[in-house]
Amino acid sequence: MRLLRRAVDSLSIPLIAIVLGLAASGVFVIIAGAQPIDTYQRLFCEGFGPNPCATFGDLLFTQVETESGVLQTVFSPTYGAGGSRIALVLEQATPLILTALSAAVAFQAGMFSIGMDGQFLMGAITVAFLGYWLPDQIYLLAGVTDPETAPQALLTIMHLIIPAICIAAAMLAGAIYSWIPGYIKIKLNVNELISTIIFNAIAVQLVGWLINFPLRSDLNNIARTRRIDDTAWLVPFNRGIFQDVEWFSGARLGVGFLIALVAALLVWYYLKRTTAGYEQRMTRGSSLFARFGGIPTGRAALRAMIISGALSGLAGAIAILGVERRVIDGFQASGTGFDGVLVAILSKESIIGILLFAPFFAGLNLGATNLQFGNLPRQLGGIIISFIVLFSAMEDFIRARLISLWKRRTLLQRTAPVDKPDGNAV
Amino acid sequence: MTNALEMRHIRKYFPSSGVLACDDVNLAVQKGEVHAIVGENGAGKTTLMSILYGLVTPDEGEILVNGTPVRIGHPHDAIQQGIGMVHQHFKLVPSFTIAENIMLGLEPNRVGFIDGATEAENVRQLAESFGLPVDPNARVKDISVGIQQRVEILKILQRNAQILILDEPTAVLTPQEVSELLTVVRSLAQAGRTILFITHKLAEVKAVADNVSIMRRGKSVGTYATHGVSIRETANLMVGRVVTLQVEKTAAKPGAVVLSADHLLVAGTGGIPAVFGASLEVRSGEILGIAGVSGNGQTELVEALVGLRPVDQGTITFLGQDITHNTVRERRGAGVAHIPEDRMIMGLNLKTNLDENVVVTSYQHEPYSKRGFLQLEPIRQLARDIVEKFSVRSARVGEEIRTLSGGNLQKIVLGRELKGDPKLIIANQPTRGLDVGSIEFVHKTLIEERDKGAAVLLVSVELDEILALSDRIAVMFAGKIVAVLDVKDVTEEKLGLLMAGSSLEHAESAAEKAHL
Repeated sequence: MRLLRRAVDSLSIPLIAIVLGLAASGVFVIIAGAQPIDTYQRLFCEGFGPNPCATFGDLLFTQVETESGVLQTVFSPTYGAGGSRIALVLEQATPLILTALSAAVAFQAGMFSIGMDGQFLMGAITVAFLGYWLPDQIYLLAGVTDPETAPQALLTIMHLIIPAICIAAAMLAGAIYSWIPGYIKIKLNVNELISTIIFNAIAVQLVGWLINFPLRSDLNNIARTRRIDDTAWLVPFNRGIFQDVEWFSGARLGVGFLIALVAALLVWYYLKRTTAGYEQRMTRGSSLFARFGGIPTGRAALRAMIISGALSGLAGAIAILGVERRVIDGFQASGTGFDGVLVAILSKESIIGILLFAPFFAGLNLGATNLQFGNLPRQLGGIIISFIVLFSAMEDFIRARLISLWKRRTLLQRTAPVDKPDGNAV
Repeated sequence: MTNALEMRHIRKYFPSSGVLACDDVNLAVQKGEVHAIVGENGAGKTTLMSILYGLVTPDEGEILVNGTPVRIGHPHDAIQQGIGMVHQHFKLVPSFTIAENIMLGLEPNRVGFIDGATEAENVRQLAESFGLPVDPNARVKDISVGIQQRVEILKILQRNAQILILDEPTAVLTPQEVSELLTVVRSLAQAGRTILFITHKLAEVKAVADNVSIMRRGKSVGTYATHGVSIRETANLMVGRVVTLQVEKTAAKPGAVVLSADHLLVAGTGGIPAVFGASLEVRSGEILGIAGVSGNGQTELVEALVGLRPVDQGTITFLGQDITHNTVRERRGAGVAHIPEDRMIMGLNLKTNLDENVVVTSYQHEPYSKRGFLQLEPIRQLARDIVEKFSVRSARVGEEIRTLSGGNLQKIVLGRELKGDPKLIIANQPTRGLDVGSIEFVHKTLIEERDKGAAVLLVSVELDEILALSDRIAVMFAGKIVAVLDVKDVTEEKLGLLMAGSSLEHAESAAEKAHL
């Protein structure tokens, strides 16, 4: 019961924010010359819906034609034929979950680091390089000239260890890239918000240069790195173990998603149940209190920055190893890290909230991308998301004005009959 | 005769915290009287005054000024009705002059430019007419707290306040400043102004007020003529039971030196030395009180002793060990307990629950954690023990502590700090903002610890507290310990003069003269 109340309490603000965000973006939908309700139905259908999907109702239950030509009602989220978008949403949500966790860990040490984008890119470029370079070295050592002819045993062993090494390297790269702003904050009191923004910009330029020059693989119009070796690839379910399951067919959802779920669990455990997590949360709550109690606050904050960076680096690794398999020019501007920051803010850094809102964000982005094939601008998704985050940042306003207004009304209604006899007695 | 002010059937419920702060409160104040309002913390005094000043809207009830019902929804309305308030924490612009502060928003201007000369002249006249002389051109950051308070009073007089609300006005003053303030309050009342005097200190009520209204748990207990009730009766009415105002203690049996500080030089915030060559010694089984007007380096001294602030010069020795540069954790491990000045920010983390608050000094040890993992059950047990032993009302294991009263919060701090029998207890303003009942509890606890053999260093700006608890008293002024006296040799007057910067000889001779 208490758990339920707490869940309702922590979810009410984001849900109200979503409703207000959609209402406010309605203005822009009208300016773009469309019907808000209509547009939102299409947006959500494109984002989360099955095929066919036309109304909000279809998001839950839809009618499909079976092979024999009979109409049949199905539960949309589990309906996979023609590509249920849920698998795709989860694929897109995977790096978002990790960058949101990354932001949450930093925030929960009182470090307002928004360097997830930079750390994500450093992780991505690290595995994009190691993903082909490392197998190359092993083939060279083993004397294999053509991977096609390599012994199966060698390939199996490589397939087990190379992704792990790549992931570890990406986490290290992200961690270092986050440690630097953390260190100069602790030692020199350089504002971490500003330094991480600058570090993001540096990472974008650095990766741009790397893929255009040293790591450019071919003379393709758009610069790109070499595709990673098959042994480094985190094979998606639809190409691997769940080849025949229709539900997975439309997406490159894979092991990476499971890694993200495990990471979420570990982060929760770290924050709530370890002394290190306790130290960083107390540092955030009141750094004076933490210092007063003898907690080494600088060390706690720095440790949080390192863990945060490692999580973003992991996000970058999974995006490349599981989905993209190479870095293509333009990947730097994906904004996955920053979306993660927004998810963390919207979910108020709660781990369950992150697991709920990361797919929500991913679906909205997906819906907006597909909407542009209609007559609506793709930026609509961005506008909606921005409004939602804006309203959720207005938590105090929502709490003080809307919720208390509602509570006061119900309170008055409840107490009114009690007050009356009192008044008569006087 | 109609009352200058009447509040009838005031009711205020805070739905967010579930507190019924005012429950059918009535208050009637006559024109030209000094009316004290006393009550424990959380009795609803502040809420009642906030309602009167338009900061809080009541759910029910009405306010009458000179017999006419008025609606006060905002401080503007209050000022319009001639009601002014001096807050506990002054709201002055430090870099402005006194005149600029008083005339803020009412500046005389000449074609859009502020006319500084007229401004200063107006303020000079205002100050003289009320017998509150100030230098209109002095900057607020350069003047003493007592003068700052005078500026606040002038500011509301300038806005033509007939009813003045003074919220705990003496909390920050030296004894001399207090007696000056009380004289000012009396003369304002004689000039026909009405004064609402909110305070914890019953001696002041006796000295200055005509009538006193007592509040307890959101209700008005009653209004009494001050000459008709004794301090003890007032205290009992406030708390609702019989309280002992006198601290009972036996003579100290001082043992070995536990803490000694030698010529400490400690920088304050901003790098300027706040502690300037202070030396002191505390023995086991005694309470050393540090008296001083707040802001004379006491906070910095305490922070240096517990390891929160670096020591630039000098040494701190604890049980024969040099701990000048040890970390907070090392000092705590050696047996130093710290009851900080600010329990809301430093003593506790109000954003988390009881368990995580009580374990902050011991979480890294077994049984509270093993190999880096917190052990929840032992932590809960610790919380349970503290709640039980210190009877922290309404605190429950695993729940937020945000809504607890000041007294209960301080009990949590005490429970945590005194666990494990510390050898040295450094208590900085341990009863600040607490009600009579909680003060009694804190005092008893500190004396118990002393009798068990702990060395206690007590910093307080409350002279009564210092005099009641200390075995020896060190007076701190301008970052130095200017005198260390046995409690038997001091008088309040002598301390007051030392706290204001007089030398010991001068203070002694002045005190003698006063007695002749």
